[in-house]
Amino acid sequence: MKYLFTNIIGSFVLDGKLKIVDSTLFKNVEEHKNKEKSEKQLKQKHKAEQLPNEKLHQALLLFKDKQYHQEFYKKNLQLTKQSIKESVNEDNLIVQAISNINELDKINNILTKRLREWYSLYLPELSEEIQSHEKYVELVATKTKEELMKEIGTKETMGADLDKPYVDEMILLAKQIINNYQLRKEHEKYLELIMKRYCPNLLELAGITIGAKLMELGKSLKHLAMLPASTIQLLGAEKALFRHIKTGSRSPKHGIIINHSIVQKAKRNEKGKAARMLADKLSICAKLDYFKGEFKAKEYKKELEENFR
Amino acid sequence: MRSKIKAHKVFEIYEEDRGRRLFTKNILPGKTHFDERIIKENNQEYREFDPRRSKLAAMIMKGCTNAGIRKNDTILYLGVSHGYTSSFVSDMVGEEGLIFGIDPAPRVVRDLVFLSEERKNIIPILANANHPEEYIERVSAADIVYQDISQRNQAEIFIKNCKTFLKNGGYGLLAIKAKSINIKRKPKDIFIEIRKILEKEFTVIDYRILEPFEKDHAMIIIKK
Repeated sequence: MKYLFTNIIGSFVLDGKLKIVDSTLFKNVEEHKNKEKSEKQLKQKHKAEQLPNEKLHQALLLFKDKQYHQEFYKKNLQLTKQSIKESVNEDNLIVQAISNINELDKINNILTKRLREWYSLYLPELSEEIQSHEKYVELVATKTKEELMKEIGTKETMGADLDKPYVDEMILLAKQIINNYQLRKEHEKYLELIMKRYCPNLLELAGITIGAKLMELGKSLKHLAMLPASTIQLLGAEKALFRHIKTGSRSPKHGIIINHSIVQKAKRNEKGKAARMLADKLSICAKLDYFKGEFKAKEYKKELEENFR
Repeated sequence: MRSKIKAHKVFEIYEEDRGRRLFTKNILPGKTHFDERIIKENNQEYREFDPRRSKLAAMIMKGCTNAGIRKNDTILYLGVSHGYTSSFVSDMVGEEGLIFGIDPAPRVVRDLVFLSEERKNIIPILANANHPEEYIERVSAADIVYQDISQRNQAEIFIKNCKTFLKNGGYGLLAIKAKSINIKRKPKDIFIEIRKILEKEFTVIDYRILEPFEKDHAMIIIKK
């Protein structure tokens, strides 16, 4: 009885005592991928059978030998590099972009706080008047002190009179922050571009940020599609969930989807219900997108909006 | 001057300061991969093996006397990750040895590829240890199976892999993370349960809880 065993090094014909009788060695990885051809040749030549599973262990022992080390190393490295190359897909791009948006938000907050402190030495009234970070930064960058005083309607200021070179540094910072806000907007456009093609349903129902964040927490669209709706409902609330399981505290109602407008708009006693229904539909959307289904998100969105008005 | 570094009870491991620090002989002198401390003595370089980063080192620190790993061994390492532990195992087995490192995550295997380009005895394989048929054509049998995977069915994966790849008389090392099996139950109960499962198939020769180096982790060494 002769057996055939193929691995990355080559195809081998083993006899009844599992000694190598004949072999075709693969020169490169492609030959291993098209192994059927060489397997067929050897099978006909020796009338060999495919190795049964219970003898697999013994066959593997044959290759635990120093002479094969180099071959194993070379081919496996090549194959692994190929599969790493193939593993990159839209999921990775979305996760990277949304992570950078999160980081930009943090950075912008810190920098704008600093700018407010700094510029308030020069014109403290402006920071009191304007709450929105983005607007504040834009005003500082574009307008002079006199124009700004006119805008907020004060004639006197308790800010110090600083020379122009002293103020220029603050304006430079403001311009830098504006660039960051611009970059954030570009990132959102980029996400929309990818998600429109890759997961249109999820994009329509969840929006750019929440959709991308779900993708980040669920690791990939494939994984997200496999998750039950109840898990999607609690993505991002892991800490509260595990606290609930461990100590028996109250269970969380919503994770990241609390930022969604439908949950936000719902009445206080209906928030849990809204989160559950939204998660339900999001789960269906993820499945539709992963298995390339039709576009149904608009109906779902309408349905939810009517339910929670 | 008296030599500071002595051989440890465990093969291929060296100790300093009465076993408070562990070292391995560096097979690539002058190169470190994870900013570890280096000691030079008698033209030999030793890399420090941190028990807080590696469960194998923690196991040895806890008093394990036989980890089973010897020079020139072939090792199947499931769950290599970035390759911190496996870089030391690569020191232990030496240039003649071989490590098949298996991990399903592309991100960490990417780091491992860079490591393996320097250390030629580490082979990175991007595959899921839960499905041995994915990589059965890419590996050989092994003297040691080392598993460090945080999955719910880690014991099942370990038994499956040991049955297929571990040679008779070879050692298997299983790092158990109790938190990924069940966070509600007491870790110790889980360890004992897994030990019982393994005892049905193999002989358990060592079992240690890795406190205080790793929380809620244990390691079991078996012999086939």
